[in-house]
Amino acid sequence: MIEVNERIEVPSTPQTVWAILSDPNAVVECVEGAELGDKQEDGSFDAKMTVKFGPAKVSFAANVMVNYEEANKAGSVTARGRDRISGTKFTTEMQFKVEGDDAVAQSAIPIKAECELTGRLAHLIESGANLVIKRMTASFAQKLAERCGGTKA
Amino acid sequence: MKVYERLSQAFKAEGTTNVFGMMGDGNMYWQYANEKNGIKMHEVRHEGVGLGMADGWARATRNPGVCTATCGPGTTQLATAFVTAARASSPLVAFCGEYPVSDDEYTQALDQSAFAHGVEAAFVRMGTAEDADEAVRKAFYIARTQSRPVLLSVPMDLQQKEWDDDEPYKPSTSIIPKRVVTPNQSAIEQAADMLSKAKKPVIVVGRGAMWSGAGDEVRALAARTGALIATTLQAKNWLVDDEYHIGISGTYATKTAIGLLSDSDVVVAVGASLNRYTTHEGLLYPEAQFIHIDPKAHVMLSRGKGADHYVQSDGKAGVAALNAELTKRNFKQMGRRTGEVKEKLANAWEDRADFKIEEGTLDPRPLCLALDDLVPTDINLFVGSGHTSGFTNILFRKSRPIVMPGHFFGCIGQMMPAAVGAVIGSGMKPAILMDGDASTMMHIGDFDTMVRYNVPLLIYCMNNQCLGAEYYKLEAHNMKVDTSCIPTADLGAVARAFGGRGALCRTEEEVKKATKEWLAKPGPMIIDVRVSRSVVTLPYRRVHYGEDV
Repeated sequence: MIEVNERIEVPSTPQTVWAILSDPNAVVECVEGAELGDKQEDGSFDAKMTVKFGPAKVSFAANVMVNYEEANKAGSVTARGRDRISGTKFTTEMQFKVEGDDAVAQSAIPIKAECELTGRLAHLIESGANLVIKRMTASFAQKLAERCGGTKA
Repeated sequence: MKVYERLSQAFKAEGTTNVFGMMGDGNMYWQYANEKNGIKMHEVRHEGVGLGMADGWARATRNPGVCTATCGPGTTQLATAFVTAARASSPLVAFCGEYPVSDDEYTQALDQSAFAHGVEAAFVRMGTAEDADEAVRKAFYIARTQSRPVLLSVPMDLQQKEWDDDEPYKPSTSIIPKRVVTPNQSAIEQAADMLSKAKKPVIVVGRGAMWSGAGDEVRALAARTGALIATTLQAKNWLVDDEYHIGISGTYATKTAIGLLSDSDVVVAVGASLNRYTTHEGLLYPEAQFIHIDPKAHVMLSRGKGADHYVQSDGKAGVAALNAELTKRNFKQMGRRTGEVKEKLANAWEDRADFKIEEGTLDPRPLCLALDDLVPTDINLFVGSGHTSGFTNILFRKSRPIVMPGHFFGCIGQMMPAAVGAVIGSGMKPAILMDGDASTMMHIGDFDTMVRYNVPLLIYCMNNQCLGAEYYKLEAHNMKVDTSCIPTADLGAVARAFGGRGALCRTEEEVKKATKEWLAKPGPMIIDVRVSRSVVTLPYRRVHYGEDV
């Protein structure tokens, strides 16, 4: 189990950040290698995600469900996916929240997530995957900040 | 004549010239008879080392290696070496004494059949004295036809029975037909259809291709179809003189090779099992179709899949037939054998990452390159497993008559025995072994065996004073690494104490000087090279640190 406990700082107001985070398409554009597909009847989305573990690429076909709590500027993401070549599967549960004063161009986004990789590849790459996910989180913060109009996470 | 004498005659008739092992009361009479029959015995200090030597002999000569151990505790010492030989598909016969049939409570009694099953060896038991010939023939028959190790279990008391049959022994080779598995023409035509549509083909050759002598046919097929050539780990450096050879497919591939392999549209695998490591769980070839040529009825690929097209054939015969079919069709294309690819290979990515090297230690990367350059190409190369193999398997690039990596069963310590057996099997041709400190220490007692038989093997002990694989895994998990750090003595001095030669080296100049001394007069030697712990191999950096290197 890979645990993520990060706090992303973005130089934009919580309202600006929330406007992006509450749009699944905008969020996905901030995730490197991710691509959003069709919306399903239950409100979830099909998605594709290509992750580089070392020089090898693992392409997951995934299903993503996003739930929002507008009042608290909070949300959760549940995703599961499978790579058809290596048979690697992942499941992720993530909670996030946008914190800050709307009068100040500075927001914090605490993120808590648990990600589980299963399959034969998983035990080989577990420690590496941990670092890959940390790098992806940093990249997400950077892209989110850029999208919010800031330049640095 | 006693049964043990007949058993010795039978082994000799099977072609046995050398036996590796340790004497005990379950095999000593047979060994005595072997000596009279002109079979050379190599007495070792640990039975498992004897089996490892027979394994190396088999891998180098493709003839059954023979080892021996006494009953019970002698036989159980064979465990790890047996599994390693089984995973290496090495044909060998282990002559093991067994407790007397007349004494169930014998101190050294062991269910050797159950043991053989557990260590992945075939089991043949001489159930009666009259079955001596049949038991030996069956053991060699299985070893030869199934290419696997066989435990021949021979009760001690039955060995002492009288043998009064004067018929000549009929060896297993007399009942095994010699035939090459030739391909079905329609299967070849389908393979040619696929290959002629390929734009980015690659040919992956394994030991099966090498053993079948398919080299020239593989080169011709690559030239005709515009294919790159890659090898499995076990066929490392074979055909490396081809200008579009990209090295190993799999864990030990360079970043440049990974980029090219990932872009392939058709893979022609020849005598290669295409296991999870060769294909990196399939991820190395995300879009490719597979043509698989192998003499077995079928070979399952990594993740329980089958090739898109399977051709049952001897490697050489299959590739020759494919060449003939494509010639008939006047098919020839440049494919990937272009100036652009040649330039990529000429400027292949090199690991130049900067690591802080501890004082008195060496960076293993330039050391490997320097040794590959310094040691002449007629000197054979053996590579142990463990962390250091991540340097040697990538950085030693020269073609040599024998290049033998380890890794079967993922255990350390098994390559020194295999290297000794292979050196003896190759007619005492000098060789070097690149291995780690834990591996060298595991069977250091058998450096004595190397000295007694004057085996011209130079062991480079890449000594980082720790269990490398575990050290880096602990570090990647932010755990205390100290538990994996186990210092050794000066192994050069240990080698000298055994009566061989040895040196402790902390600089490249010292290593080169010691190497030149060995090259001038090859013999048993250990060079204890103190290497840095800071430098992490490419495979580990990819797997444990997720680095794109």
